[in-house]
Amino acid sequence: MKLKHILGAMTLALVGVTGVASAQNTVRLGALYPFSGGLALLGDESFRGFELAVEKRNAEGGLLGKKIQVFKSDAVDANQAVGSARRLISVDKVQAIFGSYASSISFAATQVSEKEGIPYFELGAISDPITERGYEYIFRSNPTSKGFADRTIDVINEIIAPGLKVKPSDLRIAIIHEDALYGTTVAKYQIEAAKKAGLNVVEVLPYSAKAVDLSSMILRLKGSKVDVVLQTSYQNDTVLFFRQMKEADFKPRAVIGAGGGYSTQDTVNAVGANNMHGVFDIDFTQYLTNEAGAPGLGAFIKAYEAKYGIPPRSGHSLANYAGAMMFFDAIQKAGSMDPKKIREAVLALDIPMGQTPTGWGAKFDKSGQNTRGLPSVMQWLDGKLTTVYPKEAAVAAPVVGQVGK
Amino acid sequence: MDIFIQLVVNGLLLGGTLAIISVGLTLIFGIVRVVNFAHGEFLMVGMYAVYLLYKYSGMHPYVAVLPAIVILFIGGALMQRFIIQPLLSADPHIQIFATVGVSTALLNLALLVFGADVFSVKLNDVSSSTLKLGSLTVVSGQLITFCVSIVLMLLLNWFLHSTYLGRAVRATAQHRYAAQLMGVNVERIYIFAFGLGCACLGLASGLLLPQYPVFPTVGSFFVLTAFVIVVLGGLGSLSGAFLGSMIIGLVDSLAGYYIAPDLKEVVYFLIFIGILIVRPTGLLGLGRGSE
Repeated sequence: MKLKHILGAMTLALVGVTGVASAQNTVRLGALYPFSGGLALLGDESFRGFELAVEKRNAEGGLLGKKIQVFKSDAVDANQAVGSARRLISVDKVQAIFGSYASSISFAATQVSEKEGIPYFELGAISDPITERGYEYIFRSNPTSKGFADRTIDVINEIIAPGLKVKPSDLRIAIIHEDALYGTTVAKYQIEAAKKAGLNVVEVLPYSAKAVDLSSMILRLKGSKVDVVLQTSYQNDTVLFFRQMKEADFKPRAVIGAGGGYSTQDTVNAVGANNMHGVFDIDFTQYLTNEAGAPGLGAFIKAYEAKYGIPPRSGHSLANYAGAMMFFDAIQKAGSMDPKKIREAVLALDIPMGQTPTGWGAKFDKSGQNTRGLPSVMQWLDGKLTTVYPKEAAVAAPVVGQVGK
Repeated sequence: MDIFIQLVVNGLLLGGTLAIISVGLTLIFGIVRVVNFAHGEFLMVGMYAVYLLYKYSGMHPYVAVLPAIVILFIGGALMQRFIIQPLLSADPHIQIFATVGVSTALLNLALLVFGADVFSVKLNDVSSSTLKLGSLTVVSGQLITFCVSIVLMLLLNWFLHSTYLGRAVRATAQHRYAAQLMGVNVERIYIFAFGLGCACLGLASGLLLPQYPVFPTVGSFFVLTAFVIVVLGGLGSLSGAFLGSMIIGLVDSLAGYYIAPDLKEVVYFLIFIGILIVRPTGLLGLGRGSE
């Protein structure tokens, strides 16, 4: 009997707590990122973008007329992501979760949020299947690996072939990639897209990112008279590739990277600015971008520097900032935190390309993926990662036919 | 045909680089009988040492080899004296855990001090230029590394066979108790051998730095291959390690071209398994009689 009383009292108390939470005058949002461990640096950089978006929104009167209250939760890997998502939902009583930089973390956390019917806004993970599982309440603002792959093929068709004054199908293309999940996924979509565009892919060569010697692969590329190399890689293999390409005197007419090692300043420092001059890179929008194609970019950089005292460390914060702003607008339009209404409002968003700080637009398909979240095309010019495409966002004209100077 | 010759040259030159790293590992493996999982991290420490010497005192990496050898010799000797020696009579697993512990500690220490950034040296001299011999291109830095690896082999061979200390080292490797009975101070020999094995990495660091950038996990790029080489050549056999390095280098280069870059490891592990089935003690292993 006694036990039953106690249980009864506890249930009452719990109901009481829930009652209080829903009647609060703040909007409770969870921020689920890797804040410690190996992914911490860029996880934190991603969170900064979200944090700035929240501050801006709060300064402008908040969301649905209420202040936004953020609950940070650390997820270093998939296991911890599950626990963190559960805690955010059951203990912190958040009404939506924003995250999460890494695809493995996003995969795990969204399983929890979907079951609880809590909207999950993904602002940075690029693995395609995250939005391909038929979930109702996952929405993703950023481009996926397929977007990266499609853009590389766009670069060949719209920049390189016209620049070299040849037909795209006359170019001999090689796809090389590190053989773990990241490289394999992007390469798979690149092969599909190239086939669809009728391009001539002569070599597809995977390699281990831990290789200490890529010279035989380079000899093979040289032997196949490759014009355009598409590489999906991390930092060390990118550095190794460029060094050994120079040693073997292999000079393709263009090299296109898909983010990863191609986007970091460290890589260009190790390879040398001259050796990387003219190399294309597909990635989230970076900072040398024309504000005409990315309104609000300058204000973001200013706010970032004012708050953290340094310039942004990578494009991740910007992508998270722009994505969060997009979703805040949708929630505002939904008029409540009801997941069903939020879904309707997100799917109804219609922002043309070039109207957000990243230059992305917003048009979500039924799976919750933003079909107007497309990566930008950058080029290393004199040691600087410069946006060259799309035209509105470009700060320089692309240099074609030159790799290294 | 040109390409085949180029591939063979590339393979042998890569083998030279691997040889210097593997020789150090096989010395420790064969003499102290400890599987040193921290070998790669010692290489990383050496490369950071050379990098810092280059950056702050402008010392050419090839010159910085000398201080790096001293630093790593001392580091290795200290590790043997204070970490391995107290565990010598313990279960071999415990020694392995101890070296894994050192490896993890060094790796994270490097992450703490230097961060995950990649550092490299920029030199426009003989260490990084390319030589053209007809249709062949050879990186002169790799050629130098290759030559140094041969000299190192000859020197170590002379040392182990023609000096008292060297003979004591070999005696200890063959049978530690018998050596002790013959008046060899086994503990001191172990400390010396561990230091010597690590000192080889000091040599490797200076030779590698003009070609490979340094970062905390750089050791793991080389050391798995080094383990394969050492077992392939026969534990504790110097010439076995050298032969193994050349075989792995050649397989790496040829399989990367003729089969596929991602399958080259499959090929050399197949060869590895094949050789171990035929000769369980490795190509030039001492055979069943040894300790």
